[in-house]
Amino acid sequence: MGLFSRTDDHQWSQQHLSHYVEGDLGRRARSRLDRHAEDCADCGRGIRAMRALLRLIPGLEGPAAIRAPAGIFDRVRSSGTDSTNDDGTPAPPSGA
Amino acid sequence: MPQPRRPRGPDILDTEARLVARARTGDMDAFEQLAGSHADRLFAVLLRLLGNRAEAEDVAQEVMLRAWRGIGHFHGHSLFFTWLYRIAINEANRSLERSSRRPVSVSIDAEALQVPASAHDQPSIRLEQTQLHKALSKALADLPPDYRTAIVLRDVEGLSTQEAAQIAGVGQAAFKSRLHQARLKVRAAIGDEALIDAGR
Repeated sequence: MGLFSRTDDHQWSQQHLSHYVEGDLGRRARSRLDRHAEDCADCGRGIRAMRALLRLIPGLEGPAAIRAPAGIFDRVRSSGTDSTNDDGTPAPPSGA
Repeated sequence: MPQPRRPRGPDILDTEARLVARARTGDMDAFEQLAGSHADRLFAVLLRLLGNRAEAEDVAQEVMLRAWRGIGHFHGHSLFFTWLYRIAINEANRSLERSSRRPVSVSIDAEALQVPASAHDQPSIRLEQTQLHKALSKALADLPPDYRTAIVLRDVEGLSTQEAAQIAGVGQAAFKSRLHQARLKVRAAIGDEALIDAGR
């Protein structure tokens, strides 16, 4: 009898598929998911689906097609040469 | 695993440091050259986060204005682009809060964001890719903003976890938690079979 029931293992595995494909699981946790996925078609399919998702998402970016608008600096130019944050609005992250 | 796409050679960093120094003295041309080199990718991120071109253009202008006004606070302890992206994420979130809504556009510039044509360039497969692309875009648009930001920075932009967490303004553990939860939600929205078929 293992430490966890099959239901526990299944729910836990389903929640950790991204950790698994990212390599974010420790050795014991990875073994737990490996053991469960050997006998669980859902989780085996989940691993393949998560790997496919990570291959597909970068294709969303369309780097060659997206261009910044020509007027992206219009407000900078119309603000004059003063680059101080003097309009009372929150300053950008400091200390960087 | 996505690879960082931004060249970070010593020459580029040296050039960037000199442009930062000039911009800090009020040299607007230097600032435009500096920020302009990141403008296309920054705009793509805003488009993906906001889901609306007009809003993304408005926020992009605001980001540049805030960066210009705040360049005196940038001391070069982080890379310029992480500082600029941090401003962009903050401004995108402020814009979403103002409008109290999530992105409404399912396929942002559907033509511009097509999944690149592959070796399987048959009409029926192109159609499936377009449908999958729309489904992925909708799944991303339906995510809570923090989750969407995590996927856009890490998986779409290909930034490292450290860079993406810094831009999102959270620790790496918190960022990873958001990222994993976001991926699970997208996976659930698309379905395992569709993902596996498309990923072949």
